[in-house]
Amino acid sequence: MSLVRNLIRRKLRTSLTIIGISVGIWALVVMSSMANKIGSLVEGGSIYFGDKIIVSDASSPAFGLGFTPIPISIVDMVAAVPGVAVAVPQIQLPLELEASSTGFGIPEFIVGAVADADQGRETFEISVAQGRLLVPGDEGANVVVLGADLARKFDKGIGDTMAIRGSEFEVVGVLEPTLTAPDTTVHMPLATTQILLAMDAPILARQGIGSEELATQIVVYPETGADIYALAEAIEDSVAQVQTITGDDFDEEIGSATAIFNAIILGVALISLAVGGLSVINTMAMSVAERTREIGIKRSIGASRGRIVREVVVESSLIGLTGGVIGLVLGAIVVLVANEMGRSSGTILFHLTFGTAAFAVVFSTILGALAGLAPAWTAARLDPVEALRYE
Amino acid sequence: MPFLEATNLHKTYSLGRRNKVYALRGVDMSIESGEMVAIMGPSGCGKSTLMHILGLLHGPDQDLDPPATLTINGNDVTGMSEKVRTRMRASSMGFVFQSFNLIPTLTAAENVALTATYSGCKRAEASAAASEALDWVGLGEWAGHRPMELSGGQQQRVAIARAQVTKPDLLLADEPTGNLDSASTTEVLDLLRRFNEENGQTIVIVTHDDVVGDACGRVLTMLDGVIADAPAV
Repeated sequence: MSLVRNLIRRKLRTSLTIIGISVGIWALVVMSSMANKIGSLVEGGSIYFGDKIIVSDASSPAFGLGFTPIPISIVDMVAAVPGVAVAVPQIQLPLELEASSTGFGIPEFIVGAVADADQGRETFEISVAQGRLLVPGDEGANVVVLGADLARKFDKGIGDTMAIRGSEFEVVGVLEPTLTAPDTTVHMPLATTQILLAMDAPILARQGIGSEELATQIVVYPETGADIYALAEAIEDSVAQVQTITGDDFDEEIGSATAIFNAIILGVALISLAVGGLSVINTMAMSVAERTREIGIKRSIGASRGRIVREVVVESSLIGLTGGVIGLVLGAIVVLVANEMGRSSGTILFHLTFGTAAFAVVFSTILGALAGLAPAWTAARLDPVEALRYE
Repeated sequence: MPFLEATNLHKTYSLGRRNKVYALRGVDMSIESGEMVAIMGPSGCGKSTLMHILGLLHGPDQDLDPPATLTINGNDVTGMSEKVRTRMRASSMGFVFQSFNLIPTLTAAENVALTATYSGCKRAEASAAASEALDWVGLGEWAGHRPMELSGGQQQRVAIARAQVTKPDLLLADEPTGNLDSASTTEVLDLLRRFNEENGQTIVIVTHDDVVGDACGRVLTMLDGVIADAPAV
């Protein structure tokens, strides 16, 4: 109790110091939540790409984000490469025809594939929150399974009808959140997406290419024990005009870029915390100076140096803890509000985890304790007789 | 064997590079257990310096020939580490100061309990001992008050309770009545005498006040850093 009384003895100074720490922790929480979100997106991608090879047209920019049509006949050529277990044609399209700014995160896609064409080899688990997944019998039907974010954004559930690119689709399922790409994906039967792609590129029809001949990428599941990277090279060598993407490519390209981004945003948060820490040092140094006589009294009646150090450090830790909790609450509010506001546009920026919250509070408490060490040691080293004379 | 015995205590302070103040120039003194002794003398004669050394707040000059010795209750304290001296201050010594020196943010009871806590008592034990000590000095009803809510005399009685809470063997008081009116001076002296007579506590008081000197069993007079009187036998 006396510790709290010491702190509230100088209300303004203590409050300003706590605000300083709170701002630092607030920044840390918000930035870390953003890093978490990026991390979960990247991790999801890493897992997805980890055990397979994506084959797309050589002109596609990267990671299947290009929508250049490829003839579906390539599937047979790819499947014939030794080491390929299954080759599944897919179509990937942007959900909106007009290029809209989707902001942060993964763009909204339509992905079309024949259900179960992977023959059970897909290891990236998705499960339904409502309704069902697509089945082979859905081919040609106007049915969709929505990712969790899209269902929430468009406020759709099973049985609802959703207009996509001018056509009506029945929602037959909604996926559980995965925190990565499937959350912003509309899953459709392949034949349905082939029609959408053909409508998107009328030049194909003029060239006499039927919609059933179209795909935009091929997902290759290697045989068990196959060397994925050697297989990817073999596919590129065997099939003209294609490029391959493996888990390593993803980790190199996306992983390293996000690592730099994460380092920058955490750096900004840590700088603001350093400033907060310095303000704790300042506050505790002033507090010790003001209480010189009091420390002299305590030392003269038998308080050990260790006890004086403990007293000052516990006080500064309390400042750190309070600042940490306030910063966490403010950060959590920002995260909640920003995510709620962004949900309508599909821009979920933040993911606040328990680990981040606990780290923020523990870190700020330790920061407070460390910041109090130097003033505490000064206090403990005071000559009791000199300190007693201090006015 | 005397309760407190000092020989050849010197204390030199440096003021800057060249100036030195010889506060003690060879103090020899001896105090028996249960004595109540006043140390008197003009300002600057070294009374407070002697008090700080007796209270283990400072050490005497070292490397003298013959060496300085200070024995308290059979313990040679001259070679003690800072840690051991601090522990001894907490458990076997009580301090009363001229300006009371209570912690302003703590209540009377909390101030008194501090010493007990420092001597190693658990919080509940310290709290109970503080209540008892405040009852001894007649301030049991003022336990929850802060120092600024008490008169000077009451504050000094709280300070005495703080010094007595661990029932120490030795009580050191530096001008305990210096800031008090005559009525409060009488109260404080009565309290100190009571502890001396009832508990057999050894009390050493530094004072300018003849009234205090008269209340003590013996007066040592200091002059120019030495005890002018002969040590007690």
